[in-house]
Amino acid sequence: MTYFSRRAFLKTGTAGTAALFLVGNTPRLLAADAPAATGTLPPILRLDTEGGIVLAVPAPDMGQGTVTMAAQLIADELDVALEHVRVELMPFVGAMDDKGKAAMGPLIQGAGGSLTTQELWAPLRQTAAYIRGLLVEAAASRWKVAASGLKTAGAHVTGGPGGARLAYTALIPALEGKAAPADLSTVKTRGRGAHTEIGADRPNADAPAIVRGQPIYGLDQTVPGMLHAVIRRCPHLQGELEKFDASAALKMPGVVAVHEIKARKKESGKRLIAAGVAVVAESLWQAKKAAATVECKWNGTPGMDTDSELVMRRAFNALDIAEMATIIEDGDIETAFRDAAKVVEATYSHPTWAHACMEPHSCIADVRADSAEIWVGHQFMDEAINAVAITTGLKSDRITGHFYRMGTAFGRKFEKDYITEACILSGLMKKPVKVTWSREDEMEQDYYNPMGAYRLRGALDKDGKLTAMHVRAVADGWSGHAAREIPQGILDHYKGEWMEMHTAVSNGAWRGPGSNTRAWVTMGFLNELAVAAGKDPLDFLIELFSRKPSVKHSNWPNRVLDLTRYVAMLRRLETESGYRTPLARGRGRGVAIFNTHYGVCGHVAEVEMIGDKDFRVLKVTSVVDCGLPVNPNGVRAQIESGIIDGLDAAKYGKMVFRAGVPTTNNFDSYRKLRIDEAPAEVNIHIMDFGDEDPRGTGEISLPPFIPALTNAIFAASGKRVHTLPISENL
Amino acid sequence: MAAVSFTINGKQVSFDGDGDMPLLWFLREDAGLKGTKFGCGIGSCGACTVHVNGDAVRSCSLPMAAVEDGTSITTIEGLAASDSQLHPVQEAWLEEDVPQCGYCQAGQIMATAAFLKTNPNPSDDDIDAGITNLCRCGTYVRIRKAIKRAAAKMQQA
Repeated sequence: MTYFSRRAFLKTGTAGTAALFLVGNTPRLLAADAPAATGTLPPILRLDTEGGIVLAVPAPDMGQGTVTMAAQLIADELDVALEHVRVELMPFVGAMDDKGKAAMGPLIQGAGGSLTTQELWAPLRQTAAYIRGLLVEAAASRWKVAASGLKTAGAHVTGGPGGARLAYTALIPALEGKAAPADLSTVKTRGRGAHTEIGADRPNADAPAIVRGQPIYGLDQTVPGMLHAVIRRCPHLQGELEKFDASAALKMPGVVAVHEIKARKKESGKRLIAAGVAVVAESLWQAKKAAATVECKWNGTPGMDTDSELVMRRAFNALDIAEMATIIEDGDIETAFRDAAKVVEATYSHPTWAHACMEPHSCIADVRADSAEIWVGHQFMDEAINAVAITTGLKSDRITGHFYRMGTAFGRKFEKDYITEACILSGLMKKPVKVTWSREDEMEQDYYNPMGAYRLRGALDKDGKLTAMHVRAVADGWSGHAAREIPQGILDHYKGEWMEMHTAVSNGAWRGPGSNTRAWVTMGFLNELAVAAGKDPLDFLIELFSRKPSVKHSNWPNRVLDLTRYVAMLRRLETESGYRTPLARGRGRGVAIFNTHYGVCGHVAEVEMIGDKDFRVLKVTSVVDCGLPVNPNGVRAQIESGIIDGLDAAKYGKMVFRAGVPTTNNFDSYRKLRIDEAPAEVNIHIMDFGDEDPRGTGEISLPPFIPALTNAIFAASGKRVHTLPISENL
Repeated sequence: MAAVSFTINGKQVSFDGDGDMPLLWFLREDAGLKGTKFGCGIGSCGACTVHVNGDAVRSCSLPMAAVEDGTSITTIEGLAASDSQLHPVQEAWLEEDVPQCGYCQAGQIMATAAFLKTNPNPSDDDIDAGITNLCRCGTYVRIRKAIKRAAAKMQQA
């Protein structure tokens, strides 16, 4: 697969060659290249050098299937069969705002919050539908017939005189210079029932390149004349470089320069880039070997107090005594607890998790006096370009970004540190520079999933019904949102309090931010309440979710959750998992259901204990409400992925900081799950509630899997997991 | 180090550079074969798996000084007989639609291709014991199916 830079793309196109032709382009950012450009349509369709059709999709892929999904949206409206076309990532086609920064155009060119599918859903199909109309008009004009009688199928316009057909490949050049629609949002698209590609199982469009080992990732890129930089970054959280001695490194073969990198901070005060010493050499190995010889004296005092054990003790102390912010108060919990037949209390806690992106970060930057280019895998094209703009002072229309597939990202490749470092070094060296991170860098310099500790109280009435809940949350990030999670809004009496605890840890988005741990805290506690009430956990949840038809979720994106769907999904889980079938001793089932962003996922996990201290997941049954699934195969892949990732994080995930220094920094000290612990069987059921539109699934499976798992472990062993990771707490 | 001659995907190459350099970086940076991936640098994740004289080896942990004259190295780029005739393991990976991000999959495929030579009809336990590469997308359930599919293909062939 080849990704073209927007400039190369456009220049070739406007040169009038048959090789490349763009349908539409973006006026402002492209003004220098294409003064005649008037359209605003993104370039989703072109011909390659062999005359084959290429579909260009707007948003990058980190494994969540964006490229395939977006290609299906285009193909569906264009009447093109996906297996007959090539798919590639389009360049950034946004615009420049008044401050010189890159801004998204009508198509989102990023991936986060599981939003890409729903954000592309309308505009990308409308763009394709509009282009289909232009192709039909071009055929009508050639045949001298009315366009209204023509149809499209199989990448052809059909229904011409005497049954004539015209291939799109012959018509695409006739589109040149056609204007964009005055209002894209008025372009009509197909409804449910008329889809051909949407709703069909499609394999990963990049899989043929992947299994052949083609160089499609950011780390695989090279630029002629580039130098390699390896940075010795300060291992102390928020630490500084006091002094360094690079005299040995400078004498080593291939070493070109050594530069001190000053720490930079975000507006939040947390790290943008770490302090460090960059060794620049002709080859990566020379740079790596030389960097290892640099003697650094760090100042670790800013992060000294961030010690995992100390931090957790402070959090528990806060749960006991802190006067916290009340973020939600419904009804009167004091009266409800006084009137309760039974009160259940529990304390949950979890450590910090690292991303452990499969592909360590890298970026090539070529910063010149009046322009810059980057070659990078990043989740958001606009953010990546703006990182260059901020670092170099250049306006975004002078910056070209070349974007590549990411070897996972999970939210980490939203950050700009690796781009910033490459830009700084290229500016200093006045040459293209590639910065390559080690695994240790990736884990030590992460933007982690926050730690958290929670105290929950629940009141049960004489019938074993939950009447009130009180949640206190302490976290060094958004994990505190557990204090306003469902069943808040369902119960008449609820109080949520939280406290953000300062640590020197830089936190960031980690698959299902906040949801990833609060699902465990809340759905785990509901399971405890069910047991205390003498009810089956699934029946307990069905009773709870049957109290109201819907509830407004207090956590982002604050959507109204249809609880009748929750009940239907729980009933489906009951049937599909064989929930009522008794299990052998030492085995157990656990159930959980949770809304993450815009999607709801439920699981029944079935586990078998291995002695007292270990377990194996035998089978997982899952239900998904993601609206209309664009690619059911891709949805299933994401649900499978979330199950494994949730099992992995819950069982082993634990970053350890000692006196401000991460001491878990590679797969020997930070264990990750392998195939021997993967469930033997996973069955996924995508619910059909009749929705016309899709919602994203990349993050929805992991959060409910963790409580389904710990609830199953309780059912199998009688051991309640209140502290993660499970491996250290059974 | 003294020059050694060996083959990569059947092509003769020689090396007389820094013997401390892991094979991984020779393949990626010197030979330009980017299909072999860097994941951890400590031989744990297996993203860098290649075949050395037919055996699966984690190339991040094999220094060039340990590569002997006449060694035969195969990378993901050389696994298939040709671009149109993929190795059965690659075919099985496509048919089960294993890859998500895909970054670890070259290593998984290389590990599996070597594994099936000694385990032509593997059980789940064999797979659990023999395939230890890390996949951060969690494609393990599909990998298991793909390994069995590849085994069946190779037995039919």
